[in-house]
Amino acid sequence: MKDLKELKKIEKFADQCMKCGFCSFFCPVYQEEKVETAVARGKNYLTKLAIKGEQEFTPEMAEIIGKCLLCKRCVANCPAKAQIDRVVVGARAQMVKEKGLGFVKNFAFRKVMADRKAFGRYLRLAKAFQWLLPKTEGNIRHLPDFLKALGKGRNIPSLAKTFLRDMVKPVYKPQNGETPKMRVGFFMGCATDFVYPELGLKLIDFLTKRGVEVVVPEAQNCCGAAIYFSGDFETGRYLANANIKAFDDVEYVITACGTCSSTLKDYQKYLPDNEEEQKRYEAFEKKVKDSLEFIINILNVKPEELTLKKEFEGKVATWHDPCHLIRYQNIKDQPRAILKSLKGLKYVEMPNADLCCGMGGSFSVYHYDLTKKIADKKMNGIKATGADIVVTACPGCMINLIDNALRNKMPQKVYHLLELVEG
Amino acid sequence: MIKESVLTELQKIVGNEQVLTTPEAKKAYSYDGTTNWVHEPDVVVFPKTAEEISEIVKLANREKVPVTPRGGGTNVSGGSVPWLGGIVLCTTKMNNILKIDKENLTATVEPGVVLQDLTLRLASDGLFFPPDPQSFFGATIGGIIAENAGGPACVKYGVTKQYILGLQVVLPTGEIVNLGGRTIKNVVGYDLLHLFISSEGTLGVITKAELKLNPLPQARKTSMAVYNDVAMAGESVFRVLENGVIPAKIELLDNWVINRIEEMMPLGLPKDADAVLLFECDGIPEAVEKETEKIVEITKKYGAIDVRVAKDQDEANKYWMARRAGFAAVFGKAPTVLSEDVTVPRGNIPALIRKVKEISKKYDMENCVLGHAGDGNLHPSVLTDIKNKEHYERAVKAIEEIIESAVELGGVLSGEHGIGLEKQKFFRRTMDPVAVELMKKIKALLDPNNIMNPGKIWD
Repeated sequence: MKDLKELKKIEKFADQCMKCGFCSFFCPVYQEEKVETAVARGKNYLTKLAIKGEQEFTPEMAEIIGKCLLCKRCVANCPAKAQIDRVVVGARAQMVKEKGLGFVKNFAFRKVMADRKAFGRYLRLAKAFQWLLPKTEGNIRHLPDFLKALGKGRNIPSLAKTFLRDMVKPVYKPQNGETPKMRVGFFMGCATDFVYPELGLKLIDFLTKRGVEVVVPEAQNCCGAAIYFSGDFETGRYLANANIKAFDDVEYVITACGTCSSTLKDYQKYLPDNEEEQKRYEAFEKKVKDSLEFIINILNVKPEELTLKKEFEGKVATWHDPCHLIRYQNIKDQPRAILKSLKGLKYVEMPNADLCCGMGGSFSVYHYDLTKKIADKKMNGIKATGADIVVTACPGCMINLIDNALRNKMPQKVYHLLELVEG
Repeated sequence: MIKESVLTELQKIVGNEQVLTTPEAKKAYSYDGTTNWVHEPDVVVFPKTAEEISEIVKLANREKVPVTPRGGGTNVSGGSVPWLGGIVLCTTKMNNILKIDKENLTATVEPGVVLQDLTLRLASDGLFFPPDPQSFFGATIGGIIAENAGGPACVKYGVTKQYILGLQVVLPTGEIVNLGGRTIKNVVGYDLLHLFISSEGTLGVITKAELKLNPLPQARKTSMAVYNDVAMAGESVFRVLENGVIPAKIELLDNWVINRIEEMMPLGLPKDADAVLLFECDGIPEAVEKETEKIVEITKKYGAIDVRVAKDQDEANKYWMARRAGFAAVFGKAPTVLSEDVTVPRGNIPALIRKVKEISKKYDMENCVLGHAGDGNLHPSVLTDIKNKEHYERAVKAIEEIIESAVELGGVLSGEHGIGLEKQKFFRRTMDPVAVELMKKIKALLDPNNIMNPGKIWD
């Protein structure tokens, strides 16, 4: 008998689907492909057959289960409240268990991403070769050949001259010199570390100005999103345990990356293999806060107390909801409240603000053509607003939005919400 | 098994990429929105034009291969399940809205247009297409026409067939025929157009449709009447109508459904109520206000213990979200749910509801009633488990009796779902035998080789 452990864990979620097919309207992938295997109902049905032992993890099945952004639009709109994200991730985990990760994934995830030092080395190497390639627009360049798998000719932001990890101190005391009102840990996340280091420094500055002590544990690791969402639960748990240990002695874990915050929170949902892990991951979840959630709901900063940076005076801004904020964490009111109250900025809601940008982490590596089509819909929404700037709070989305805005020759610049705020 | 040469020809017609034969694809096209009807096709094809469909059907007719037309696959009759294998002809990639004619209030669409996409597009032009099957997020126009679908708005607006002016159809022998036209009135020859509406894909493939539209109502108002006797709620339906108000929608939820919805998503529905009726009036703002006042007055007079008028669109949306959650609430509660689609003349709604409750008690079945009370179309359901043989058999008996009593009350077996596979066993029992023979003759005339969606409607 084959060990169907990971599938057994998701059986109750797969049984929730009643095949009504409403998900087809909300699935960005189905909307492009119009084929049943692309939509949640089809993926769920095939996974149910796998649970019953009537469907093998063939290359076709791997392709079907892989072709999901995990944007959770189907989940958010499902009348039966079926949690298809758990079904897809569980099926991927079973697949990894049976077949192992493919070579590219093996290389990227197991060897590089799981070893934070190595990841940094590879990216540094990439950076060193950047001058070999033609400069495109702005500060966007193409990556060298050996990162083509990740790049596939797309516009990727150039890597920072100095990574955030090489700039930060282990501890930042409150700037007013008073006793800290709380002690939080700052979780960098790879995009902030390598591409947007100034964003990390900004968050640290913002928090320490408001009486918070910020520590930056060196032992922190990758959040694990690309890894466990691909079904590599073993490495996922390794990272979860490392991060939980690294942030053991802080009240909260704060990050400016929507994907990281939801990934850290959701260890308890996808990864536990036993009750002890379940409890430990659940306890960790309670400590994790996305920066926007922390600022508004924990620090109780009033949106109207915030001031707009000079350079954004008179601009029209629109907000893009990262999947990992709106659907994974129900964070949607906080950013809008801030944007609407910033004096000097005009806020316009974009049509389908909650539509996935098409990135989906490694989805865009394997299905870049689909990513572009999905992103074009996002771009149409942005165009309709007439906004000067697109604001969001997930560096993953930012990378994809920049790529596609440039590709569509759009004038809009993309910012993290924290970048708009003074002090 | 389908011949290799047929697959090659299909690829020639629509291109390699539009022909799927992997085991995974076949499994993904083996089901529809029902629970238990499953059968795999041999191949799935995605044509883009009526001409391609004509070629496919000619090939199938020559080789005697079954063809099952399919849109979004959201139907709840088993109608799009390829029961005898063969070709699934999927129209989801023919999804262009070809023309919106504001002067004549018509739209020309391809069969794969999803209803919600059409609704959004029309709304931006101040128009709407009234038929509103609750599967609108996935249902395609082709399927909606083939099933003659309806929904809550039928009280005032009627069903799909009242909004189809013209059709282009590929016949089972491959000819392309244009029926009807673009005018409201049309009495030229036999009304063949309506033969294809509710034909459940057994007489041909719809490749283009001319739709009749309405201007989008300027105002809507929702109210909810609460009852401590579900049959009294049934009576309120025709009392409101006979007193001169025709709301756009009148929907009924019984106590069981109310409580399951509240468990799923607390919306503040009255959990002690035996039933609630949801009303929506639409039209000119002043008229909507007056009609709503009248509904409050009449429902109170005829037994409502409380009537709430939604103060804004948010509150109204909440009530309609509850209604939409109704089916999920029912189907999520048992491994197998037998849900019927019986429809009776409105005056007999209270009698039908009493019968459902009585029969369910007799067979000791957990049951519920929800549905489009305004047009007499109810969805009484019993909860069972197909794996529990004794229980399931009892459930089937209960359902049979419910259907028989609906027919005795002057009603019909299905109001909006169609026969497909799901209701075949009751079809002959509730149909005039002469009519059945006539239908079979029409089928034989149009589809001599019985290739078009075979195995459906009659045994």
